[in-house]
Amino acid sequence: MNDTIIEFENVTFTYDSEEGEAPKTPALRNVTLRVKRGEFLAVLGHNGSGKSTLDKLCNAIYTPQSGVVRVNGLVGDTEEKADQIRRIVGMVFQNPDNQIVATIVEDDVAFGPENLGVEPQEIRRRVDDALKAVNMYEFRLREPHKLSGGQKQRVAIAGVLAMQTDCIVLDEPTAMLDPKGREEVMSTVHRLNEEMGITVILVTHFMDEAVAADRVVVMDSGRIVMTGTPAQVFSQVDTVRRYGLDVPQATELCHALGMPGCVLTIEDCVAQIAARAGGDAG
Amino acid sequence: MSYAIEAIGLTHYYAKGTQQQVAAVDHVDLAVERGELVGMIGHTGSGKSTLISHFNGLLKPSEGKVLVDGVDIWRDKETLRQSRFKVGLCFQYPEYQLFEETVYKDIAFGPGNMKLPKEEIDARVRRAAEFVGLTPALLEKSPFDLSGGEKRRAAIAGVMSMEPEVLIFDEPAAGLDPRGRKDLMALIRSYRAETGSTVIIVSHSMEDIASLADRVVVMNHAKIAMQGTVDEVYSQGDALREMGLNVPDITEIFARLHAQGLPVPTNIYTVADGVRALQALGGRWRA
Repeated sequence: MNDTIIEFENVTFTYDSEEGEAPKTPALRNVTLRVKRGEFLAVLGHNGSGKSTLDKLCNAIYTPQSGVVRVNGLVGDTEEKADQIRRIVGMVFQNPDNQIVATIVEDDVAFGPENLGVEPQEIRRRVDDALKAVNMYEFRLREPHKLSGGQKQRVAIAGVLAMQTDCIVLDEPTAMLDPKGREEVMSTVHRLNEEMGITVILVTHFMDEAVAADRVVVMDSGRIVMTGTPAQVFSQVDTVRRYGLDVPQATELCHALGMPGCVLTIEDCVAQIAARAGGDAG
Repeated sequence: MSYAIEAIGLTHYYAKGTQQQVAAVDHVDLAVERGELVGMIGHTGSGKSTLISHFNGLLKPSEGKVLVDGVDIWRDKETLRQSRFKVGLCFQYPEYQLFEETVYKDIAFGPGNMKLPKEEIDARVRRAAEFVGLTPALLEKSPFDLSGGEKRRAAIAGVMSMEPEVLIFDEPAAGLDPRGRKDLMALIRSYRAETGSTVIIVSHSMEDIASLADRVVVMNHAKIAMQGTVDEVYSQGDALREMGLNVPDITEIFARLHAQGLPVPTNIYTVADGVRALQALGGRWRA
C-alpha cells in the first residue's frame, strides 16, 4: 500500500454532455493502474485516447463517475481532500505561456506556496531550492516572457516543486519546444526523479521520451491496452503502430533488419550494428 | 521572372526607439522560388515566426522590403490587401482561431473576404474540405464538436480555401500524435504536388523538414545562419547542435557508423533509407 502513490481502480469517466445532446462516450473505461512511489511512468496514446483525462483525474481536477482514484490513500471527493491531493500531485501543461502568472520568475515560483499561506522565510528557501533544482536560479529576477520555451517550462516545474509535491504530472510538456528546450526539460525531469525521488507521470507524443521511463502505458479508446517496460512495449512494433503510435527510429531500424532483442537508444543501435558488421568482416 | 516571395534587407525591431530595442529579424535576404518547398528551422526566439509574419503584411518591416510576385507589398493599400490573399499563413495551433457556427462558415470566411461569387466560395470550401479529409456531413457541425485532429484540419482548410499562391505553415503538427503528424505531412506533400503552390514550413521537427523540404533555411539570432539542400544542412550536425537544434536519430546513427569506419552513406533521413543503405552492404544485411 505504502509504495503506491496513485491508484486507479476500475475508473470510468465521461464528460458531461450539453442539454439535448446524446450522452458522450466515456473518455476512460474501467481503468486500473497503480503508480509506484518514485516511479517514472510514460503514458502514450493517440489524440483523444484518454491520456489527458487520466492526467486530470490524478490531481482531482475531475472525479470519476464510477471506480475510485486514490492519491496517498486519499479520495478527492470533497473540496478539502481535493486540495490536499493537489499538494501531493502537481501538474505541468503543454503551453508554457498559459502557466505563468507573475512578471518576475521568482514571484511566479512563489505563487503556489504564498497561496498556501507558507511563512515568507520558508517561501524564500523553497523558491531558491526549486529554481536551483531546475537550473534556473540565475534567472530568478528575469521576466518570464523573455525566457525561451524550455526555460519557461522549467520555471513551471519549479512552481510545482515549491509546493513540495511528491509527484509531477506533465502533459506533453515539450510539444511546443525546440530540440534544445526538449532536451533541457527532459533532463531536468529525469534528474528530479533520480535525485529527489519525485514520482513522474509523463504524457507524450514523442516516443524517444518514453524510452528512458521505468514503465510505459499505452492508451486507446479510454482503455489501457499495453503496459510494460519500454523494451517490452516497443518490441511490439506492429501493435504499437496499430494504436496510431510509433517506435523510436533506432528500434524501427533494428526491427526492420531483423536484429534480435529490442534496441531503444542510438548508442545501442550503433553498437549492435557495428558488432554485426564486424562479424561480417571477420 | 520574379520570385514568389523575396525579402531584401528585411529587419524588424521590437521596442524600437527604447533601450530594450532588439532586432528580431536582422537584415535578412531570402528569395523563395515559385513552387519551392522551403523548410525553416531555428530555436525558439531565433526570428522564424517574426520573419514569416512579414510575408503577408501582418508585420511591417522596420527596414528593408518584402516583395510578393516582384511587387513591394507595402506599396499601397490594395497591394497589401492582395498580398494577404496571395500568401496564406497558417499559425501554430490554428484550431484556436476557429470561431464560426459551422465548419462550413469557418472555411468560407477567407474566400468571403476576397469578395468572390457565392458559387465560387462554395466550390472552394468543398474542395478544401475534401482535400484535408473532412466529410460533407462534418461541414454542418460546430467546429467545437470536432475532434482535435479534425479541428486542426478544418483550420488548415480555412487557409487553403483562399487558394493562395504561397502557403506558410508555422509548426503545423505541434501536439499531434505520430500518425496525425505523418498524415499531415503527407497532406502537405500532396497539396503541393497537386496545386504546384509554393510552401514554407516552420518546424522544430528535423524529421518532418528532412522528409519534405527542397531547401532548408536555418535561422539563428535573427539572421539566416545556414541554408541549402537537406544534405548540405543536415551534414553539419555539430553546427546545428550549437544553434540548439539537432539531426534526426537515424541520421545520427549513420553518422556514427560512418565515423566508426562502416562504409555507409551519412545522408540518411528516414528509417527506410537506413535499411536500404545497410542492405546494400550485402552479407548478413541482405533481406
